Amino acid sequence: MVVRVRVRNAETGATVDMELEMENTVEEIIEGVSAYWEKDPGAYVIRKGRRLLRGQQKVQELDIQSNEELELIPDPEGGKI
Amino acid sequence: MKGPVILGGKDLEVEEMSPPAQERTLPHKWLPKEALPMYSGKKAEMYLFKTAEEKVRNHALSKVKEGLEVMGFLLGEVFTHQGVEYTVVRDVATTDLEATSVSVRFDPEGFEALFASLECARFRYVLVGWYHSHPGHGCFLSSTDISTQKGMFDRPYHTALVVDPVRKEMDAFCLSDGEVLRRKFLVYWDEFQNPYYGESVRPKKIRM
Repeated sequence: MVVRVRVRNAETGATVDMELEMENTVEEIIEGVSAYWEKDPGAYVIRKGRRLLRGQQKVQELDIQSNEELELIPDPEGGKI
Repeated sequence: MKGPVILGGKDLEVEEMSPPAQERTLPHKWLPKEALPMYSGKKAEMYLFKTAEEKVRNHALSKVKEGLEVMGFLLGEVFTHQGVEYTVVRDVATTDLEATSVSVRFDPEGFEALFASLECARFRYVLVGWYHSHPGHGCFLSSTDISTQKGMFDRPYHTALVVDPVRKEMDAFCLSDGEVLRRKFLVYWDEFQNPYYGESVRPKKIRM
């Protein structure tokens, strides 16, 4: 079984449509969209509404509905040095 | 089992829109002296809503005594006007932080609170940049900041807003071909808001 979702890049407003299998992990979703948008996957997290999706969670655990939108959020670091 | 499959993508469609009216904009009162020359002619590339500006400034000021940096996202929209791209920052979002006097990032336990504020945004935002503070060190982009800017906020419209609540300075930066440039930004307010640094409003005497 596959589920189709939309992932929105919060930095740009761009979106991608993805097809996910139940066994796919959040980490794989981040890697997929990061490769598409040429980003460092380690510097991003994904949210589903107010929920942070954890890297090793599988799609089947996420209660994702078809055509639901997830959002890719950067995890920036600032500093004086 | 195969990995996630990307079926297709779509970029943001940037609308043509006039920027906030000139009579409802002002340069920030904390601009450092070295930033002032660019404020004489060039068009602004970022408009920062008064309330968002207050949130940034107050966030930075709230950690002055502890000497800690603060950070958050600039939530806004991207527009073009007469061939010039600009952003309007309508709000900011932040959460609990892991900070020292020389570094800052989101507390991993704070993401859900951050997402709650993003969910409360009443518009389809784009993270048009980020803000952070350099308490007592002035406004500039450090190597860590530049790395963040290059990795995450690399579109021409992305802005790094830096505030020093000790020196009372605020300045904006962007990247152009990998080089850090200062960005002209203006604070704007809605028609019926008094600018926080405006003159007092006195009723006009009517001559009979």
